[in-house]
This record gives sequence, C-alpha cells and structure tokens, in this order.
Amino acid sequence: MTTEAPRPAVLARNISKSFDGVVALADVDLELRRGEVHALLGENGAGKTTLSNILAGIYRADAGQIEIDGVVHQLHSPAQAIAAGIGMVHQHFRLVAPMTVAENVHLGWDATPTVVTRRELVTRTQRLMDQFGLRVDPEAKVWQLSVGEQQRVEILRVLARGARTLILDEPTAVLTTAEAKDLFAVMRSLVAAERTVVFISHKLNEVLEVGDRITVLRGGRRVVTREATGATARELARLMTGEERELEVVHRDTSDHASVLQLRAVSARSARGLPALHDVSLAVRQGEILGIAGVSGNGQSELAELLTGLRKPDSGHVLLSGERLTDANPRRFAAAGVGSIPEDRIGTGLVRSAPVRDNAVLRHYRSPELSGRVGLKRPAILAFAQRLVARARVQTPSVLSTTSILSGGNQQRLIVHREALVATSAFVAMHPSRGLDVNAAQDVQEALLKARDDGCAVLLISDDLDEVLLLSDRVAVMYEGRIVGLFDRRDADRERLGLLMGGHSSAPPDTTEAG
Amino acid sequence: MAVAQAPAPQAVRGRLRLERRLSVPPTQAALGRLAGVGVALIVAAVVLALTGRDPFSLLGKALDGTFGERQGLEEMALLLTPILMNALAVHIALRMKIWNIGSEGQFFMGAWAAAGIGIYWDGPLYLVLLVMATAAALAGAAWILVPALARARWQVNEIITTLLLNFVAIQWVAWFSFDIWNDRAASVVQSTAVVQSRMPYFPGSTTLYLSVIVPFVIAAVIFAVFRYTRWGYEVDMIGGNPRAAEFAGIRVTRRIVVVMLLSGAIAGLSGMLHLAGPAQRLNSSISNNYGLSGFIVAALAGNSVVGVVIGSIFIATMLHSGITLQSDGLSVFVVAAVYGLVLLGIAVGEVAARFRLVRSGGLEAVTAE
Repeated sequence: MTTEAPRPAVLARNISKSFDGVVALADVDLELRRGEVHALLGENGAGKTTLSNILAGIYRADAGQIEIDGVVHQLHSPAQAIAAGIGMVHQHFRLVAPMTVAENVHLGWDATPTVVTRRELVTRTQRLMDQFGLRVDPEAKVWQLSVGEQQRVEILRVLARGARTLILDEPTAVLTTAEAKDLFAVMRSLVAAERTVVFISHKLNEVLEVGDRITVLRGGRRVVTREATGATARELARLMTGEERELEVVHRDTSDHASVLQLRAVSARSARGLPALHDVSLAVRQGEILGIAGVSGNGQSELAELLTGLRKPDSGHVLLSGERLTDANPRRFAAAGVGSIPEDRIGTGLVRSAPVRDNAVLRHYRSPELSGRVGLKRPAILAFAQRLVARARVQTPSVLSTTSILSGGNQQRLIVHREALVATSAFVAMHPSRGLDVNAAQDVQEALLKARDDGCAVLLISDDLDEVLLLSDRVAVMYEGRIVGLFDRRDADRERLGLLMGGHSSAPPDTTEAG
Repeated sequence: MAVAQAPAPQAVRGRLRLERRLSVPPTQAALGRLAGVGVALIVAAVVLALTGRDPFSLLGKALDGTFGERQGLEEMALLLTPILMNALAVHIALRMKIWNIGSEGQFFMGAWAAAGIGIYWDGPLYLVLLVMATAAALAGAAWILVPALARARWQVNEIITTLLLNFVAIQWVAWFSFDIWNDRAASVVQSTAVVQSRMPYFPGSTTLYLSVIVPFVIAAVIFAVFRYTRWGYEVDMIGGNPRAAEFAGIRVTRRIVVVMLLSGAIAGLSGMLHLAGPAQRLNSSISNNYGLSGFIVAALAGNSVVGVVIGSIFIATMLHSGITLQSDGLSVFVVAAVYGLVLLGIAVGEVAARFRLVRSGGLEAVTAE
C-alpha cells in the first residue's frame, strides 16, 4: 500500500464480515481522503452497505482494522463512530415525523442543553444551518417536508454531531433529478471544506458526475479503486457485474395497434381518502410498453392499484379490450388476463413466511390443473412451482425453502415470472427493478420486453427515468394525479420530461393522441 | 501487513456472541423448547433438593402416577379433553395471526347452551347429546361473532374484545346458576340441576368419557384441511400476509369471520363436552382455567397442530402430576411454581432457537496475528 503525503481520513484494512456463514465482505481495503467524494459502487449484495455499516459502527467486522486520522479505532456502536468523526445517513430516514426539524436535530444528542426552550432549539438549529449551508425551515414538522428536505435534515443531524466523514447510503434513490442536483451541490461544498463524503450508489452516471474517486465492490471483494476522471460507464458496469451484458431494446411505433387497457376519465382517492387521480384517461396498446414517468407519490400507486383491482375508482371506468371492469376485484382482473408487479413487492406480492412453492402458485392455485373444488393437487402444485422457479432462474435451495431467505432479486424474479403467466392481455409493472442489482434488473426488464413482444399491453410505472426511457415505446408523465404529457419515445426528451415531472408546465404538453 | 499500533492488551479473543438466524428450522425450534423444559426441570429439581426433598423420587412418582397405571392415564386424559379443545380453538385462529383470548368465555357459553337443553329435555340419549353439542357450538360461535365482524370490517383489535367478553360470559353463567336455573336441592349453592343426558364412558372406563376422542378427531381434520385443501391454503396465506392474500384474490374479510366463528364453535363445543361429561351441573367454576391452559399451549406450539396435541398432553400430564404429588404432601404452590417455571422455559427456548452462538474474532485478535 502506498503512503502518499497526506494522511488518509479513514483507512480500513482487510475488513471481513460474514452473516450466517455467508461471506458479505472478504479482505476489503478502503482508503478515504480528506476533501474527496468517494463513490462506492457495486450491485446489491456486493457489500457496499455492509462496509459502510462497519465504518459507522453498526456492524462489527469479523476481522480487519480501522484507522481514523492515523489512530486505530474500535467501533462498537454508532455513538463511538460519530465520536471518531464518521456519520452515516441511511437510505431509510430515521426522523420522527410529528416533531419539528429543530427537535429532530437535537434529539438524542449530548450537546443538547438539558433544559431548553423551543426558541433556543430553533436558534441553535438556525446557526447550524448557516454553518453548513443546509437550509430547511427549522420550525416545520418533518412530515410536512419533501423527501429531499428530510434528507437535508438527516445530513445536518450527522454534521452537527461533528462528523468529518459522511456516508450517504443510496441518497439519490428517493430524490427527483432536481433534488439530486441540489444534493450534489451540498456534497461539493462539504468536500470543499475538507470533509469526506462516501457516496453509495449503483447509478453509474451519478457516480461519474459527482465522484472524485471510485471504489468498485463485487461479491464482497474490492475490484478496484481509481480516479473518476477518465472512467466510463461501460467500464464501470463491467467491473461491477464482471460481465458485459447489454439489453437491446428496439422501440416500436404502435400507432396502428389496438388499445387493450384503457382508463376513461378515472378519478380515485388514496388510502388516506385524499384525491389522488384526477380525470385520468389513458390507453395502453397491444404489443407496446407505455412508460409512466413521474416522481413517486403523484398518483402512481393509486393508478397501479386501480389496474390490479385493489382500488375502485370514484368515477370513470377501466376497460379491457373495450369491456368494462366495473366493481372489479383482484381475482376478476387476474381472470381477465391482467398481471401486476406490485409497487411493494414484499408487502403485496409475496407471503414471505411461506415456502417458495406456495408463493409460486399464489395467483394460479384455483386453476383446474392445480386444484379441484376443495382439494389441492399437491404433486401438480409442486411441479408448477419447480417449473416456474427454473424458468425465472430463481436461486433457491429448494421450492420448499422459506421465501424470506431469497435475495431481493430472486424474490422479484419469482413475482415477475408468476405475473407474466397471469398477463395474457395486459401487464402492469410498478418499479419493477427498483433496488435490484444490474443482473436481476436486466432479467426483469427482459421479461417485460418479452411480454410486449408476445402481444401484451405493458404499462410500466417507474420513478427511474432511465428505465422508462430504456424500455418504453411511448412515455407519459404523471404529476399531481394527472397525465401532464404523452410522447412517442422518439419525441421524449429527457429535459422536457424532467420539467414536467417537477410540475413545470412551462414546456407545453404537446400530447400525441392517446388511443 | 505491518501494523503500527500494538493491539490493546485487554483484547478479548474468540468471545462468544449471539447471532440471529435467518430462518429457524423446525427441528431447531422443537429442540429449543425441549431444552427449555429440561432447564426448567433442572432448576426446579435443584430448588426441591435444597429444601430437603428428593427430586428424582418425586419425578418418578409423578410419571408413575400418570403413566404407571390405567387410572392415572384416564385421569390425565380427562384433563386433556378441555385443554386440547381450547388449544385447538386458539390454534385455528392463530393460523391467521388472530388471537382469540376469549376461548374461556366461549367455553362457558357453550356449557350454558348445553345446560339449557340438557337440564330440561329428557329425550333419546344420542339425539339430546347431538342437539346439546350443536347448541354449544352455535353459542360459542355467537359469542365471538361481534369481535369477528369488528375485526374483519374495521380492524378492531380482537385481543381486547374477545378477552373482555370472558368476564361477561362468566357473569352470565353465574347469574343463571345462582338464580334462573338454580337447583336449591344441590349441595353446591350456586349450581344448576344435573343434565339428564350424560356423556357415555369410554369403553372399559368409569372415569374417562367417550368425548376424549372429539379433540383428536378435530385435530386430525384441522391437519388435513390445512395440508390438502384450497381453503386451508388460503387461510395460511392470509395468516402470512393479508395484503398479498388480497392481491391473490382471496376474500380476506370473509375468511377472517369464518375462521373466528369456527374458533368460537370449537371452544363452545368444549364447554358442552365438559358439562355432559365430568361437570354434570352448570356453575361459574366449572372451568379449571382450561381456556388459559389451552391458550398457552397454542401460543407456544407455533403453527403446528401436532405441536398443539403434544403440548396439550404435556400440560395435562403436568397438571395431573401436580394433583398426584399433592397427595404426597407437596404444596399446591410448589406445583404451581414448577408449572410456571416449565412454561417460562418453553417460551425462552422458543426465542433462544432463533439465535445461535458464534465465536467472534474481534478486531484485536486478528491484528495481533
């Protein structure tokens, strides 16, 4: 290991960690310098989060050593890590929603005075915000804030506690493009002040945009650490996956295809009873992928539930090949040939405590091949499950294993191929590759393309604009419960979509006719 | 690789540490519970030895008193009937992650309905028993109807509703046995007259009733339903994740109501079996905490009917041994304490099975190498 002139901020050597006999990290070295954005790149399960959790004192390494500013530290708790100057902002925020920003910043912090007034908390918070250049209304309740603002509060909280090295775990996963830009600016200002930022991501373009140096992890090992200058997305992808695999998508012109799945002037409410969809009309044509771009929470969840039968419209109609699916329930939609990849795959798509076999037949167990009026045909069910697992390339010890032991990618493979069997006429996919590693994501995307090529009408709802642009033949943008733009793929321009997603109607929605 | 800093001198090497398992294999879960029983019995034995008793001879007497002679076995089976019935009632609801804490109340309402028929109708034996059983099952189901609807429709917590209805049921029975159906000739003050149709004895016995086979039949049916039928699969899926079940097109609300009614019906039927068998008369103390014992068994047995049967036999044996040992001069409090200790042991064993011991290298240990 070369020792360059400046002492590294953090030097982790030979870090190993395994869970239940499964190796998560093997002999990993990581050197973080002052004043750099160090990107940690890798697929899911590559060990990015495990490594950062070890640096943040949440996990203890089985072996290895951590030096902070040249001194060996033993980090047995997050408190010890932050005392040594390492703080982490998690993917899922740890804020108390009904409390104010100022209260959240001071919560569980030694430096908070024992007796303190509301006003003092606000002034203290204001001072911290000025110091770090992170501005949010200190008196706002956390639940009132946007996701980007909440993230700023999290970062402020960690910085206030004296972190000189800040670990951001997939910070852009929840942000809009504009919010991500703001975050990158914050990161740059932090490193300008000689702090260190560890940026975890599996989005290559972001890593190239904001990273100074890049460490790629694969299968719990460090593949390379290199300068970001001169690196290409293609090269990094190859290092991440260890193989070169590219999805070839040929976009189609579907203007003469018949409409299969249609919404006619549909309005609906959210689970909390608030209006979520306003007068939405949309048609998905046979043999096309219609992508819905938009920031999460603009009615996409309700739209997907509506097309699965989990939610009923207040007004308007859902039609399948011209026939109304009124008063429909999930069983009716499935029988009509509408498959669905639910937004929350664990919460809606799977019974995790049940064997893989039971989940494989969740949508088909009523079919005459698998059960009679009363009894289950157990051998046929077993065979069905084994076929599905083989076709979906789900890696599992057995179809009788508990589903919860499968990785996220394998769980999603199971769902996608199960739903593809349901989807004989239409396929509704929400965030189908969210959080998946490159390989699993490509498997999932390939399955959607295959459904399209088989003549299915595919509705792809995703807040990942890259995915929408990659797969869709047509692109619609959803904002505040309305379709604010609809384009053929060749007219869909990233910048314009981004503006519409952010609610800027300055770009006039020159909509092509839906239908 | 050379390391500048010497490892801390107080470095602890190879310290043992608990780690959560990703999934608990069934054998592991069973072993954990068994180990819990073992540890509890050892603790009890040590305490008994310290107070000057011989734990081994006590254990011998307990086992001998239950399994050593036919009479003991029959007495144990007599205790087993209501415990297993109540355990099965709680179990079937638990398949759906629904807690029926009210099986005691449903037991009382079943006994009450059976008594209403049994005291006043002197008809053909088997016909009367059949009508009593049906009435008891309906009464038990009726007693859980409101909690079931409230849970299925509005997600009202069934733990509270079913629990509170226990007290109502016991007061209801007390009122009838003290006043409306009171038998002034009876030696027990607050009691009704005896039922006219009594449960026949088990062949060759004058202690045990034929009703002992009922819970075993129900257990076998439950086992088969959950293994071989669509309905059972659907209920298990709802228990695992109601939202996924709804997504799969299962009518969740309807299943919840039906399962809860079945749970109440089994508990109600258990009240009738007890009334027509050993109790004969209705009063507010006919249940010897059978609902509670059954609840404990079902909660500790997890998702397994076989576990419920084994657990019920175990608890009935413990209760019966307690009675045997009392005649040997062991205080009822000591017996109760051992009983509680064993249940605690099982509960701890169940949790302990979710973890395992690993040897942690520790950062120091490795840098020293």
